[in-house]
Amino acid sequence: MPGTRLEFENVRRRFGRLSVLQGVSGSVAPGEALLVTGPNGSGKSTLLRCLAGILAPDAGRIEYREGERALDVAERRLRVGYVAPDLAFYSELTVAENLRFFARLRRVGPERGFAVLDRLALPTDRMVGALSSGMRQRLRWAWALLHRPRLLLLDEPFQNLDAPGEEGTRALLAEHLAEPPGGLAVIANPSSLEIDRVTGRLELDPRLGR
Amino acid sequence: MSPGASNWIPDWAAEALAVFAKEWRCELRTQVALNTLGLFAVTTLVVASVSLGPLGVSKSQGSALLPVLLWLILLFSVAAGLPRAFVQEEESQTATALRLSATPSALFCGKLLYSLTLVAALEALITPIYVTIMNLEVKDPALLVGALAAGGYGLAAGSTLVAAIIAQARSKGTLFSVLSFPILLPLLILVIELTRNAVLGDPAGLALGQLLLYDASVSIFGLMLFPVVWNP
Amino acid sequence: MKKTLPWLLWLWISAVIVGAFYYAPLAAKFIGKSSRILFFHVPMAWVSFFAFIAGAVWSLLYLLRGRQERHDRAAAVAIQLGLLFGVLAIVTGSLWARIEWGAWWNWDPRQTSLLISLLFYAAYLALRGAVDDPEKRGRLAAAYALLGLVVTPFFYWVMPRLAPITLHPEPVVNADAKVEMDTRILQVLLASTFAFTVLFFWMHNLQCRLQALLARREEARG
Repeated sequence: MPGTRLEFENVRRRFGRLSVLQGVSGSVAPGEALLVTGPNGSGKSTLLRCLAGILAPDAGRIEYREGERALDVAERRLRVGYVAPDLAFYSELTVAENLRFFARLRRVGPERGFAVLDRLALPTDRMVGALSSGMRQRLRWAWALLHRPRLLLLDEPFQNLDAPGEEGTRALLAEHLAEPPGGLAVIANPSSLEIDRVTGRLELDPRLGR
Repeated sequence: MSPGASNWIPDWAAEALAVFAKEWRCELRTQVALNTLGLFAVTTLVVASVSLGPLGVSKSQGSALLPVLLWLILLFSVAAGLPRAFVQEEESQTATALRLSATPSALFCGKLLYSLTLVAALEALITPIYVTIMNLEVKDPALLVGALAAGGYGLAAGSTLVAAIIAQARSKGTLFSVLSFPILLPLLILVIELTRNAVLGDPAGLALGQLLLYDASVSIFGLMLFPVVWNP
Repeated sequence: MKKTLPWLLWLWISAVIVGAFYYAPLAAKFIGKSSRILFFHVPMAWVSFFAFIAGAVWSLLYLLRGRQERHDRAAAVAIQLGLLFGVLAIVTGSLWARIEWGAWWNWDPRQTSLLISLLFYAAYLALRGAVDDPEKRGRLAAAYALLGLVVTPFFYWVMPRLAPITLHPEPVVNADAKVEMDTRILQVLLASTFAFTVLFFWMHNLQCRLQALLARREEARG
């Protein structure tokens, strides 16, 4: 789809006296992945939250277009696929029940989510409360891909995963980017990641906040 | 379109029902809210009746005092157990996933529906016990049920929105009471009057209409204000 | 103009005070000289109510006009002043109540509704105090202020139920728009109300500017 693009310009965010983002800019086009690196506290998660629409920046412009249409924050929020360490699900429900619930919210069928779980070898009848951290991470991926999003926002996407888990999720990411008309991705990680198709890099410096 | 959803249920309503179903599924497995509400209400009720017993509330005093006491018990029980609907989402960090997947208005309606059923269950538990223990003679039971329904609705609606507000603040427990009581006060005054009328067998008068108007207003404005409260 | 406004205000208020004690006669149905308090108590209660409406309007502006910090600040300051003037109104009202009715507090509907609105202002300020992030604080507070606005009309309906016969003096401007009080009393009362309203805006302006400066200093440090 022509015109699909994520652009952010001069994004600022402070928490009390601490200026975490002091004017960050970047853009991602279909088939591209933007890698955001930097030490702890440099604002990577904050930037991703702003891009996802769950945190309002103090200043700056974030524009996400699908096709020729620019989406407002509310639409963007529902359209992105988001993976982050603090993303949690209902521990009193099973994996399958969680997926089905969120699928109903998103008004889609749960098939895509179950397919991903199948590939990542996560049993669906277990209580989320009983999952290990690595299994939780796999569930996050399944949840993020449930509605086949164009834009993936991944904060430490391979955290806690064992070798097969990381292999599986890397494959999912590669497919997301490659599959026509091409997915977009912003990936945040403390250290640099070896990912194919990384077309942009953004290094955040906590001293500069950008 | 979600497979299996009937064509005549709009997507939005299906979303709200999904939230409602999730709330009850989680609640039935843990029973936290039911226990909190029920235990608090019964305990308060017992304390009230034990304290009043020796004083011997006369019939005339009873009709003035007992409706007030009933609604105070309901109010404080709701304050003890209802905010959990939103506070729990924030504390267990499931709120992020909800923010990224749910339409705010559907989410609010689903939570409201859940709160309504909780309050209805609470009233169904407490009112018969209360009427029995206090030897309260209700001349117009139909009006009493109406008052419980309309008043319970207002309690649930007001409390749900305030719960959404305080869930994102500190000191949620005390803040809920501080914020909700001024909002709920007109409701309480109206519904207490209606309850008193039901006990005495008086006609409902203007109070019922005003109460329903309150319920409608809080619902409509709650629905309008919720997206602002819920999302940045 | 900004420099002369305070002086004009002081002159005006001084005139009101003089008028209250020397120009206006004593009201007929009041005990002794207690009616003088009318000229201060009524405007205070009026300003307290007006402050709430202003706060709600600024809250609405905050939500609808791009979440500008100045609107949020204006709303918060308005509610603070509403609390201040409300407390003053209750104190002056209680003084008068003691003289006229023999008790400080009577659960008169107007007394009670003033007290409840104070509870509401305090709740609003408590909410603001419990949220650290300015963006979140602004929208949560604005939502609560508007919720309060929605509920306010019901108070006016409901309050008269508490006492069928209010102890408060009857509203002196009735449905015919005929004024039933002495013209001199009315003149001073209106003058005083005007003065208190201007005073509210002046204090509001000062406090907003002060807070804006403090905020800028905080940001410069960070």
